[in-house]
Amino acid sequence: MTVFLAMLRDAYRELNSKKLFWAILVLSAMFVLVYASMGFDDRGVFMFFGLWHIENDVLVKGSPMAALLYRGIFSTFVVPIWLAWVATILALISTASVFPDFIAGGSIDVVLSKPIGRVRLFFYKYIASLLFVLLQVTLFCAGVFLCMGWRLADWDWKIFLAIPIVVAFYSYLFSVCTLIGVWTRSALAALLLTLLLWFGLYAINQTEIILNLVSTEVAVQMDDHEQRITELKTRRDELRGQENDENEAALARVETELGNIQKEHGDVERMLGKLTPWRGGVRTIQVILPKTSETIALLDRALKRETDVNLMDLFTGNVSRDSSGGFMSTDTSRDRRVRQRLEDEYTARSLWYVLGTSLLFEAVVLALACWIFVRRDY
Amino acid sequence: MSAANGQYDIDLHDVKKVFSGRVHALRGIEMQVHGGEIFGLLGPNGAGKSTLVKIMMTVVRPTAASGTLLGKPIGHKRTLARVGYLPEHHRLPAYLTGRQVLEFYAALARVPRKVRKARAGEFIELVGLSDWADKKVSAYSKGMQQRIGLAQALMNDPELIVLDEPTDGVDPVGRRDIRDVLVRLREQGKTVFLNSHLLSELEMVCDRVAILVQGLVVQQGTLDDLTAESRRYEILIEGPPPDWAGEPASVRVEAAGDDRSRLIMISTEPQSVQPIIDRLRGEQRTIISIRPVRETLEDLFMRAVTDPQTGRIMALGARRPGGAGGKGAGR
Repeated sequence: MTVFLAMLRDAYRELNSKKLFWAILVLSAMFVLVYASMGFDDRGVFMFFGLWHIENDVLVKGSPMAALLYRGIFSTFVVPIWLAWVATILALISTASVFPDFIAGGSIDVVLSKPIGRVRLFFYKYIASLLFVLLQVTLFCAGVFLCMGWRLADWDWKIFLAIPIVVAFYSYLFSVCTLIGVWTRSALAALLLTLLLWFGLYAINQTEIILNLVSTEVAVQMDDHEQRITELKTRRDELRGQENDENEAALARVETELGNIQKEHGDVERMLGKLTPWRGGVRTIQVILPKTSETIALLDRALKRETDVNLMDLFTGNVSRDSSGGFMSTDTSRDRRVRQRLEDEYTARSLWYVLGTSLLFEAVVLALACWIFVRRDY
Repeated sequence: MSAANGQYDIDLHDVKKVFSGRVHALRGIEMQVHGGEIFGLLGPNGAGKSTLVKIMMTVVRPTAASGTLLGKPIGHKRTLARVGYLPEHHRLPAYLTGRQVLEFYAALARVPRKVRKARAGEFIELVGLSDWADKKVSAYSKGMQQRIGLAQALMNDPELIVLDEPTDGVDPVGRRDIRDVLVRLREQGKTVFLNSHLLSELEMVCDRVAILVQGLVVQQGTLDDLTAESRRYEILIEGPPPDWAGEPASVRVEAAGDDRSRLIMISTEPQSVQPIIDRLRGEQRTIISIRPVRETLEDLFMRAVTDPQTGRIMALGARRPGGAGGKGAGR
């Protein structure tokens, strides 16, 4: 424990000496300040402590919609864009040199001559290196927690779930950075290749999202077709039972429409058949890779409440009060149904699938990095 | 542990290191270091000195090695809690102060918090950095970094201290200070293993030395033992050499210029010189000086690295199969 605490303290001192650490902290503080400056009154929503006011009937003080918006801005925008994107890149820039510096000649010699096994040394250093993000996210979450308590009187401790989620997300990338850093001894190579991998993960993720979107749209379209086919068949049977001249013309129209829809249905079905293997292939690749976007989305899942409506519906104005006084989405379009079905599918993916397989990837990468570290002569 | 109870602090047998399957940096080192002595390791560049030190300190993994360090097998990690080490060209964390450096490395050596706090102050004073203790290491000169490096090697109160080029970059005053520290450590019963190419430094403090050439120990022992063959007495007298000079086979004569002569007597015993002095005095000869002379460490070193057949300095560096070594090979 003495050794681990010493390495943790050393990591903190190293961070303390880095200007980038403080720069990110200041930027985070500014984000929190802007977030705190947003609030609600009886007339609507205001920004910058009242300097900018937007009149709105729904987003008023004490309204569930106002609370939804305030929480949604944190989980849908601030965490994925600031913490999991900009701050992560800055954190990687700042920590990419940790292992190359650690194993540099003259530096590693003293440490290796101490009575600590190399495996333990490697993992202590790795865990201590995550302190950068841990501190940043913790302070950021504490700020957001206070803002929510102040603005909404909603002291939601689940906000702090962002800490393990963002640290886990960052650790997937940092494990790769560590492997390349230990292997090449170059901070630049570690940073560039990690960013390249991240871009690759993003590309695979986007491919999966697009394939999923198209497949789901097709599936919803097929459902609509099937429903319409059933309706048309029923109508046809009715018309056949009451034969007269007028009905014959209607029957002809029904049969023409039925034929067209069945043809379209067949085309769409073939398209789905072509998409399915691609979708399966991308999903298979995704299984073994870290799920960066889905990990961050876990926070949204954790913060979501039963009464919440979709934030997109809120922005597009497709929200109304239901009979119990709550809010419901009024959008029943096919797009809405596609979106809902996709959301249901992503939500159905288990914690084990999202975190477990990603951490497994990290464990394999770290095992390889540790093996190189342990076997090398310095 | 000491040789007195049948064990050495460092007892190496057949230590070999081959880099990349081609470069034979060490070819079977046999070396013993007694407890409580200052032991010097010398050798030309690329002889394998640092590699040997790194193997002892588990920084480099040997291709083959047997033997012990403080009675435990080479590579035994826990034993390193009883060893202090200052590597060559060490790089201390630039973001730490001198005091923080000492406390950090002491913590890695599992020294309790209170003890390391107390020792940090003590050793900072010992190496003369009291005014710089709370300044960042990045502001230190090379010599100051060596001093703080030496202090960190002492923080765990080691029984064995391994120093690789400890006076590198240190000014003459600093060198003397470091020498004094080493002598004090020996007086405290600690063993010091010193790797240096500064022969005069080693000569001043070492009890025993080993000379490493092309990955092999070619000479090992006390300075007296290693220079025994060269030890002699030189008597400088006025005038020509006496007629009887050369009669005892052990006495040689040399002209010393300015109408002086030098009588050289191969002996390590002062008693054996007395009859010669008596005889010169009996003949009313003026004796200018009588002094015991022996080979310097530099002479010994040069002899060790010179090929006796060709009279040339042996190739530097580690050996490659079927060829000579190269400077710095194996790094």
